[in-house]
Amino acid sequence: MRLPYELSLADAAQAIAARELSPVELTDSVLERIAEVEDDLGAYVTVRADDARKAAAQAERDIAAGRHLGPLHGIPMSLKDLIDVAGLPTTASSRVRAHHTALKDSAVAARLRSAGAVLLGKTHTHEFAYGLTTPQTRNAWAADRVAGGSSGGSAVAVAAGEATFALGTDTGGSIRVPSALNGVVGLKPTYGLVPVDGVTPLSWSLDHVGPITRTVRDAELVLAALTGHHPTEGPARADESPAGLRVGVPRNYYFDRVAPEVAAAVHRAIAQLAALGAELTEVDIPMTEYVQATQWGVMVPEATASHEQTLRTSPELYGSDVRVLLEAGGLVPATDYLRAQRARALMQRAWARLFEEVDLIAAPTVPCTAVHRDQQEVSWPATGGTESEPDAGAREGVPGPDARAGTPGPQVSESVSDAYVRLSAPANLTGLPSLSLPVGLDGAGLPIGMQLIGRAFGEATLLRAGRAYETAHPPVALFGRAVGRRTTASAPTPVSRPTPPADATILR
Amino acid sequence: MTTEDLSPQEAARWALRAGLPVEPGRLDVIAATANHIQHVLRPLRELDLSDAAPAVAQPPLGRTTALTSGEEQADALAV
Repeated sequence: MRLPYELSLADAAQAIAARELSPVELTDSVLERIAEVEDDLGAYVTVRADDARKAAAQAERDIAAGRHLGPLHGIPMSLKDLIDVAGLPTTASSRVRAHHTALKDSAVAARLRSAGAVLLGKTHTHEFAYGLTTPQTRNAWAADRVAGGSSGGSAVAVAAGEATFALGTDTGGSIRVPSALNGVVGLKPTYGLVPVDGVTPLSWSLDHVGPITRTVRDAELVLAALTGHHPTEGPARADESPAGLRVGVPRNYYFDRVAPEVAAAVHRAIAQLAALGAELTEVDIPMTEYVQATQWGVMVPEATASHEQTLRTSPELYGSDVRVLLEAGGLVPATDYLRAQRARALMQRAWARLFEEVDLIAAPTVPCTAVHRDQQEVSWPATGGTESEPDAGAREGVPGPDARAGTPGPQVSESVSDAYVRLSAPANLTGLPSLSLPVGLDGAGLPIGMQLIGRAFGEATLLRAGRAYETAHPPVALFGRAVGRRTTASAPTPVSRPTPPADATILR
Repeated sequence: MTTEDLSPQEAARWALRAGLPVEPGRLDVIAATANHIQHVLRPLRELDLSDAAPAVAQPPLGRTTALTSGEEQADALAV
């Protein structure tokens, strides 16, 4: 029998509605889970246990009195610590915000409060969301692996049962990357669909807020609350078939420099969508050679601009990786920023044409599973083409199969951050919705994520396809496994080499 | 270092001009980082931008940032 903290949002909501579970029991169960695992995981900046218990008790009284607000009523959740809650600090996991207090709720916090959700606390972010690893937090599946970022705390909390759902933000993958690395569902909605008022910005053109949940059905319920739409309770619609949906399978970019196990798992998932009735068609992703330049050209100057004040008054309070990027971002010429914004406009037009041919695009969320915590780079064979095999020689000190003794085969390297943002960035640049969902585990037992990218405001299509997939292929649950395990030394992940210092390698 | 690269001293002048003071001891790392960023941005100079206006802080396909019509909500949520 499942413990309350193990329940999905939909199952917990159903049990609460049926008076089989009380919000107090559920919140207590989650708080006990936090007490059990939080020292190992480090997902939370702050846990507001007393406030959560009071809110749960109020929810219980209201529901008993017939004032049931909907499926989120009495459900314990956490918010990435970039999201304002009235009276609480929004630390952005930074010393810069040591004395901050939010004066009012952000729009999303207010909507979740109106829906009756119970706030557990604030979760860790990579400082000001300017990172892809959230170093304060450990991967829920393996303590020696990165949590991913920047919404690492939220993803780990949901994966480990420390929250029934959470919110994250996504500027270059920061909802989807940690969701994929922790085996949970993450939705970056269409740009502008969910209000960002009261959310600390990183890059105004690229920032999104969205849910991190255990199931696609749960993401649908949270999205409905965030957009101000209140769905009825009850089971998901019977019509979950993706029959007739045109699924684009990229011929380029999304399967280049991707670990074989990740590519294989995603291809299997795509085949499973086809078996459920979806129609597959190969597509060419446009302007891929300009993705990184456009992402950096937009994000780097905007991030500096949003931190201009504190860069003047207290630059020493930033972490070294974030500080140097903010300082250097001030030296990007306006002409390059405008080129990036114009390239983005071209990209949006090209992707809009793509969605005349297909209803969604299926691809890996990230090119590899969670890397080791001290890993700085990922290496790939310099052979080009799709679905690169990581060179057997691509391990430190071991020659490749085509190498002379002592000499590894030719390789290309990228920073861990660049690797993790590479497949996420297009959906930020285009503003199109992207849903990441788990599609299996690799040989080291680490989660693999697939993303479904849709046309603007096409969340319904993504959720339909995602629900159909997860109904037919439920994800592997973390619960029951030991939190804090470590992977073996021979885990089949791409090789790492220490990166020389001082280069700007962090990209969100 | 290419001819486009900033020296630490040039980085200091650029930062001053931009109104973002930096500590003298940090000029080397800031210049190196700025030069790396510029290297990443270089492909944009080869791109034919045609008549494209900047896509500045607006939803795809020109919709407004504020959630407005019920039709948009319904489209996004109807399953």
